[in-house]
Amino acid sequence: MPFNRKAHKFNASINEVEIGTGDKAIKLGGENTFPFYSFDGSLGSGPKIGVEITDLGLDAEPEGVKAYYAGCNTIGEIAKKAAEMPGGDFVVLRLAGGDPNGANKSVDDLVAVAKEVADAIDTPLVVEGCKNVEKDADLLAKVAGALQGKNILVMSAKEENYKAIGAAAGLAYGQKVGAESAVDINLAKQLNVVMTQLGVPASSIVMNTGSAAVGYGFDYTISTFDRVRAAALGQDDKMLQMPIITPVASETWAVKESTAAEEDADEGWGPVEARGISMEVQTATACLVSGSDAVILKHPESVKTISRLIRELV
Amino acid sequence: MYKITFVTEEGSRTEAFANDGETILSVAQKSNVAIDAPCSGNASCGKCRVKIVSGEVDSRQTRHITDEDFAAGWRLACASKVIGDVTVEVPDIASAYKSRMRVADLSSPAELKIFRDATDQVKKAGIEYRNNMDVIEIQMDAPTLDDTRPDNERVADAIEEKTGIEKVRLPYSVMRKMAHVLRASDFHVKCVVRTTAKNVFVYDMLPASVDVVIGGLAVDIGTTTVSAVLLNMKTGEILGKASSGNGQIRYGADVINRIIESQKPGGGRRLQDAVVKETINPLIQEICRAAQFPKNHIYRMAVAGNTTMNHLLFGVDADPIRKEPYIPTFFKTNSLFASDIGIDIHPDAHIILAPNIGSYVGGDITAGAFISMIWNRPEMSLFIDLGTNGELVLGNSDFLVSCACSAGPAFEGGDISCGMRATDGAIDAITIDKETMEPTLSIIGEEGQKPVGLCGSGLIDTIAELYVNGIINPKGKFVREGERIRHDKYGMGSYVIAYEKDADSVKDIEITEVDIDNFIRAKGAIFSAIRTMLRQLELPVEVIDDVYVAGGIGSGINMKNAVTIGMFPDIPLEKFHYIGNSSLTGAYSMLLSGDAERKVYELARSMTYMELSTVNTYMDEFVACCFLPHTDSTLFPSVKLR
Repeated sequence: MPFNRKAHKFNASINEVEIGTGDKAIKLGGENTFPFYSFDGSLGSGPKIGVEITDLGLDAEPEGVKAYYAGCNTIGEIAKKAAEMPGGDFVVLRLAGGDPNGANKSVDDLVAVAKEVADAIDTPLVVEGCKNVEKDADLLAKVAGALQGKNILVMSAKEENYKAIGAAAGLAYGQKVGAESAVDINLAKQLNVVMTQLGVPASSIVMNTGSAAVGYGFDYTISTFDRVRAAALGQDDKMLQMPIITPVASETWAVKESTAAEEDADEGWGPVEARGISMEVQTATACLVSGSDAVILKHPESVKTISRLIRELV
Repeated sequence: MYKITFVTEEGSRTEAFANDGETILSVAQKSNVAIDAPCSGNASCGKCRVKIVSGEVDSRQTRHITDEDFAAGWRLACASKVIGDVTVEVPDIASAYKSRMRVADLSSPAELKIFRDATDQVKKAGIEYRNNMDVIEIQMDAPTLDDTRPDNERVADAIEEKTGIEKVRLPYSVMRKMAHVLRASDFHVKCVVRTTAKNVFVYDMLPASVDVVIGGLAVDIGTTTVSAVLLNMKTGEILGKASSGNGQIRYGADVINRIIESQKPGGGRRLQDAVVKETINPLIQEICRAAQFPKNHIYRMAVAGNTTMNHLLFGVDADPIRKEPYIPTFFKTNSLFASDIGIDIHPDAHIILAPNIGSYVGGDITAGAFISMIWNRPEMSLFIDLGTNGELVLGNSDFLVSCACSAGPAFEGGDISCGMRATDGAIDAITIDKETMEPTLSIIGEEGQKPVGLCGSGLIDTIAELYVNGIINPKGKFVREGERIRHDKYGMGSYVIAYEKDADSVKDIEITEVDIDNFIRAKGAIFSAIRTMLRQLELPVEVIDDVYVAGGIGSGINMKNAVTIGMFPDIPLEKFHYIGNSSLTGAYSMLLSGDAERKVYELARSMTYMELSTVNTYMDEFVACCFLPHTDSTLFPSVKLR
């Protein structure tokens, strides 16, 4: 009997959300099938890669990252170089210095950083907060205002501060909004519901349903992607049809596999930087094949590897 | 060691000693000083407020205490550590927790009607309200030198002649008074007896001239509230009733915290005393005083309560209930007497217990399921008991499945800052204008009664109205601004239901986001249990023909609003029926009717118990339900925003 291939068709698709302006603008989402199932349907414009930089500079970065940005002195120069990283599609500015328990930089200072970055690049920009919900509410609302017209994606709107961030980014300044929830399909959907009830169009929302490094409760991350995609496509659940963006670098470069010096690590672990890249690549790959539409990375090697993976599979 | 002196508002003093760093709450609990602590000392509920009169404690200010109150010395007992000698004023526990508890105790005409309707239904099903308690009058010949039978044989012979039953049991309490009673009455007495096929048990002996009414006491022991009715065992007439908060509340709001507390040294005894000496005996005292009824003429008692409450009542170790594989000491027992546990009625009074069927489905449910009559219909019905533990029974005349979920005390007004029982001053219904956000209140009490707080039905209305008017979002957070919407310095929103000037209270009556969150969890627990149960049985929600709702939430419950907030499934409203405090009605029936007692035992044997904690989708379902009305809005097609 000849093999008769039947395509699995869905009567639903993931929203297509555009970020950035002009020629370099990109679209997230748009697929109407499972990850990389190009034999069954359309993958939209395919998975995308963001290159992460932070306002804290390069001092704490791995050697390979430092080497890539060698010669860059200002955040604007760093951003420009990030935008040029081979395989990257957009730049992600993480305003980690705003953390009141860390550097605690002022909102005005950080807004200035964001402006400098935005002015230095023509690729799309994603801005992440400092993970403190009160500070982020103020900071990200002001960033959204300052960068009006750039069509940026403002991440880190959570249940506690979605009103401030959603109203500023999604309503007042016409930016895109990233809705962040904690590895639970119901919590992800609930945030999308309240966000749309606030008036933010569903087509302006991108989800961050939670992330982790492989081996660190990562199975929850993966099963959440899985279930969100199944509900979005299989049940045509409009409140789960937002594309998913997943910060990977900020998770994987913080775990001991990526930080323990070779002399402190168990025998056979090998050089620290190679381990860090491996963690980043493994995590990003697993995210993409489970339903994430974009991953945020920082090491040039990882970006190169993942972009090749995408190129080969799409 | 420091000296801690507790002073109550009435002036009683208790002295205790504590180590550096102990909390005021734990010192109070060890010294048996009643401080209301529903959250068991997590500084989350804010109920354990005490006032520091002299001395110092190491205490941080929480959102529960305003700046003025903090300056005046108010602290949370659980968040205050001992650092020196201190004198602490403890608010009156009666007002602190007993009075704000709501329980249906047949004190309103509406409740009484529901009660009558329920018992009528039971009678229609062929259950006779008849029992084996009786008063028999016997006239004996006085002893002579020729008739030298001792008193007890004389009585036994007379009873045998009257009843035809040979074996007569005369307990110690009767033996002791017999000589005196017989001679004072010229051997003409009345005996209170229980007659079975094999023997006659004599509870009491009184001169024939005394009018004897056999009293019976039906008690519903809830985790949060206790209610009792006194009745005439022959006629079924209700002679008195009363209810109050369960005195165990200060040892934790739910059964798990109570069990943990009972494991501390002397804890089992403290918890038993809290329910027997501080709750049930005062209720008996109150009822008997009002009805002018002698306490020792109560010869039988029926108790319906959950498994943990039964164990703590009897002073039996409850710890295995909370530990896998969750096996209690008993499901049923019929060998308990009032004197065993210090209940202040006739010492030989038999205690009838509605049988438990699982660690978390107790006698309150078997008694309630009996009253709901779902076992007598071919159609599928759902019985829901809204209490601190929410319990469900689904089934028909062929099968019954039960399960339990932890809803917390919100339905009974606990854990809600403005919660109270449905008594005078309680707001039992509310509507809110969409434009102005002004509320219209229905208040229990006489014309002109000012509002005091919210009872369960008022709470459901408030949350439903806030939601449909877009004042709160489906997460229960405030999204509109207005004169009645406030935010405290921690950002927590609240809605003012009544301003201080319009209320019979020392502060504004307001509902906060924390209150709403507590309630959303409670309703989420109920609905997720319904969903999980149906899913496990692979039945669609449409299969439910009738829903019987029981519990102390108030008879005025607006079923439409309960559906709007996603507490009950979105099925036609006429399918919902409120059957009152079915646990108490069930205990009443078991007390009065041997048929009913046997039927409840039969139901307990035939009911299947489903343990939700072992169903791995329950938690997922619960998170989906903690949203108004539900994360999957297609389950609630009738719910529309205004």
